[in-house]
Amino acid sequence: MDMDMDMDMDVPMHDAMSEQLIPTINEDSNNSDNENNDNTNNTINSNGNNNDNNNNNNNNNNNNNNITNNGGNGGDNENDYQEIDFKPGSSGIADNKSNKPLELNPSNINQLDAWIEKLSKCEILSEDDVSRLCRMAVDVLQFEDNVQPVNVPVTICGDIHGQFHDLMELFKIGGPCPDTNYLFMGDYVDRGYYSVETVSFLVAMKVRYPHRITILRGNHESRQITQVYGFYDECLRKYGSANVWKMFTDLFDYFPITALVDNKIFCLHGGLSPMIETIDQVRELNRIQEVPHEGPMCDLLWSDPDDRGGWGISPRGAGFTFGQDISEQFNHTNDLSLVARAHQLVMEGYAWSHQQNVVTIFSAPNYCYRCGNQAAIMEVDENNNRQFLQYDPSVRPGEPTVSRKTPDYFL
Amino acid sequence: MSSGLRNQVLLNHLQKIQEVIGNDTSDKSNEQESRKANLTNTLHSDKTEAELFTIPKQSMFTHTHSEFCIKWDQFFTEKRFVQLPQRNHNFNYYYSLPDNCQNEKAIPIFVFHHGAGSSGLTFASLCKELYERLDSKCGCFTFDARGHGETVLCDISNSINNSYYRNAFVDDFVAFINYIFDNYLVHLPLEKVSIILVGHSLGGSICTFALDKLRYDVTRHILGIAMFDIVEEAAIQALQRVQSFLFSTPNTFGSYQEAINWHVNNGLSRLRSSAEISIPALFKKLEDGSVVRKTDLRMFSRYWDTWFIGLSHQFVTAPKCKLLILAGNDNLDKELIIGQMQGKYQLVVFQDSGHFIQEDCPMKCALTLIDFWKRNDNKNVVIKTNWGKN
Repeated sequence: MDMDMDMDMDVPMHDAMSEQLIPTINEDSNNSDNENNDNTNNTINSNGNNNDNNNNNNNNNNNNNNITNNGGNGGDNENDYQEIDFKPGSSGIADNKSNKPLELNPSNINQLDAWIEKLSKCEILSEDDVSRLCRMAVDVLQFEDNVQPVNVPVTICGDIHGQFHDLMELFKIGGPCPDTNYLFMGDYVDRGYYSVETVSFLVAMKVRYPHRITILRGNHESRQITQVYGFYDECLRKYGSANVWKMFTDLFDYFPITALVDNKIFCLHGGLSPMIETIDQVRELNRIQEVPHEGPMCDLLWSDPDDRGGWGISPRGAGFTFGQDISEQFNHTNDLSLVARAHQLVMEGYAWSHQQNVVTIFSAPNYCYRCGNQAAIMEVDENNNRQFLQYDPSVRPGEPTVSRKTPDYFL
Repeated sequence: MSSGLRNQVLLNHLQKIQEVIGNDTSDKSNEQESRKANLTNTLHSDKTEAELFTIPKQSMFTHTHSEFCIKWDQFFTEKRFVQLPQRNHNFNYYYSLPDNCQNEKAIPIFVFHHGAGSSGLTFASLCKELYERLDSKCGCFTFDARGHGETVLCDISNSINNSYYRNAFVDDFVAFINYIFDNYLVHLPLEKVSIILVGHSLGGSICTFALDKLRYDVTRHILGIAMFDIVEEAAIQALQRVQSFLFSTPNTFGSYQEAINWHVNNGLSRLRSSAEISIPALFKKLEDGSVVRKTDLRMFSRYWDTWFIGLSHQFVTAPKCKLLILAGNDNLDKELIIGQMQGKYQLVVFQDSGHFIQEDCPMKCALTLIDFWKRNDNKNVVIKTNWGKN
C-alpha cells in the first residue's frame, strides 16, 4: 500500500484490510472534475474498491479522509507510512488459532487464577504471560459474534480508560465477578495510568469466565488511537518494547463490537450508523480488522446521539450524530427497548437521551484524574428492570500526581 | 571584503550542514521548482477593486540587496497593504484567490492569524500546499498582526489604538475579515463561499474570540475554526517561563541565513523550506548586514494575561465546526478534555511536530484542513444511508 502520509489523530485509522467499507459521505459528483481528484487525492484508496464505480467522488472523499498515523517518525514526508513496522498480526498471537473455543482445564484455570490474583494487585504480567494470555483470548473471542448475545441479569459498564483502581471500585459497587455478570462497552485503555493492568485484568477475566463477562471493542481499542493517547507509551515504559502493545492491539481486532442483552437492549460503544438499519446488518460485517476510518464498523464505535433530528456530521471527525427519530426507528425496527452505549463523558455517570430510547454510561470517575465527573454502571435484573449505581473515584494512596509538561513557548 | 569572506565561509559551512541534515534537499528543490512553475502558471494577477482600497506603502525595511529577499510571491499571488478603519495600523497581507470555480459547489476560503512574535508568512508553506492540493479552487489570506512583520502603526501619538490586548488583536482581525469579505469575497459567488478561520497559538485565541464579533452577513459564511497548538491552561502556565525563554532567544544574527539556521537547529522551525520563508520575515536587516528581530515579545508582557483567558470554554462552546491540532501530545486542559469526550470538536495530534505546526508539517496541516472542510461543508456533503431501502 502506498499510504503517503502519517498523522496522529483522534479518528480511526484507515486499514488496508478493510473491505466492507461503504462510503458514508457522498460528495456531490458535480463538485469536482477529474483534475481536481488528481490534485486532492494524495492519499491511498485501498478501501474504495466497493464504491460504486460510477461515482468517482466517493473515492475522492475516501482519499481525503485517509489521513493516518505511523507511530511517530519525523517529518512531513509523504512516504513515511511505508516504513511502519506495526503491521496488524505482527505479534503472532493469532498465528495458531484453534478451530474450536478454548477449553478450560485444571491446568489453565490455575494459570489464569494466578494471573488474575497478580493483576488484581495492580501488578503487570510478564511479557511471555501476556503472550500466552492473548493466545488463549483469541481462541475465546474469535468465536463470539459481532452481536454477542448476553443474558440477564447483567451489569452494563462504560469507559474505563486505564483507571484500574476505579475498576476495582466498580467491582465492589456492582459485586464481584463471576458472581455478577458484566458487560463492558469498550475503551479500557488510554489516558489513565494503568491501561496495561486494566486491559490485562479484563482479558484474563474474560478467558477465565467467558460466559460471565463480555468485553466489547471501543474506539480506543485501536492501533491508531493508542499511539496518541497513552497505551502505546505505557507499554513501552512498562515493558521496554512495543511487543505487548502489538499483542493487545492484535487481540483488539477480535473483540465483538456489539452485544444484545436479552434481545431487548442493544449495547455498543458509540452509536448508530446510517448504513446499519437492522441488527442483522451488524452480523454481516467483517469485524476482525483495525477500526476503519469510516463505514459502518467505524460508526458503531464513534457515533453520538444528538438533540438534532436525523443524521448529522460528527464534530469528532468520525462517525455521525443521530437524532431521536433515528433511535426510535431503530428500536422499533429491531424490537428493542433501549440502545445502551458509552463513549461520551457524562457528569453524573449516566444520562438518558432521546426520551429513554438511548442511555449513555460512563464508568471512569473523575476522568483523567481531573474532570470531576461521577461514574455509573447499569444493573439489569432478570425481569429487565434497570437500576443505576453511581460512584466516585476510589481513594487510594500514592495516586500519581497529575503532572503535565508545560511548553517553553506560548507564542 | 572581510565580511564578504566571512559570509562565504559561513555559506560553505552551511552547505555542508545541509548536506548532512537535509538529505532531501535535492529532491525537494526539484519538486519545489516544478511547484513554483505550476503556481505561477495557475495564478493570474487579479487586480480587482481591492486595489482601490489599498494603500500601497513600502515597508521601512526592504531586503533588496540581501541574499535573502523574501520570496513571498512563490507562495501567494499578491501582497498588499491596507489601512483598516479605526485600527490605526497599516496592515501588510498576502493572498491568493480561488480560480476556475464555476463548477464547484463550495469554495473554501482560509483566513489565517499567526501567533505572537510570528508573521503572516508562517503560513506560507501551508497556503501553498492548500492552493496546490485544491487545484487553486480555494482562497488563502494571511496578514501581519499589529506589532508584527511589515504592519506598521500609523499614528504613534494616538494612544487609543496602540495596545496589544487580545481585544485589540481580535478587533483588527474582525476588521480584516470584513475587509476581505467586502473587497474580495463579494466578487465570488457568495453562496458557495465557506470561510475557515485558522489560528496558530495566540492566533487561535484571536480566531475563536473573533467569531462572536463578526457581522451577521459574514458569520453565516463561516464554516468553522481551526486552532493550531494552543491550550489555555498550558499557555497560561507557560507564560510564567516565557521571560527566561525570551532571554535565551537571540534577537540579532549575523545574517538571514544565520537566523534561519538558528531556528531550524533549535527546533523552532523543523522544516527548512518553511523556515526559509517564515524566519526572514521576522527580521530586518541593518547597515552592517546583520539582522535584528522586528518584534520584541517582551514589550507585550503587560498584555499577556489577557491573551488566553477563557479560551477553552469559548472554543468548546463556539457554534461552528471546530478543529484543534496539537503538537507532541494531547496536553488538554479540563474544559477541552470534557469537550473532546463529549464529541464537541475534532482533535488531531501531530506527534512529530514542534510548536509551529504549520511550518513543520504543512502537508499534513493542508490535508487535515481540506478533510475538515470537506467533511463539514454541507454544500459538499450528503450523508448516504441505506435505511428504508431494505
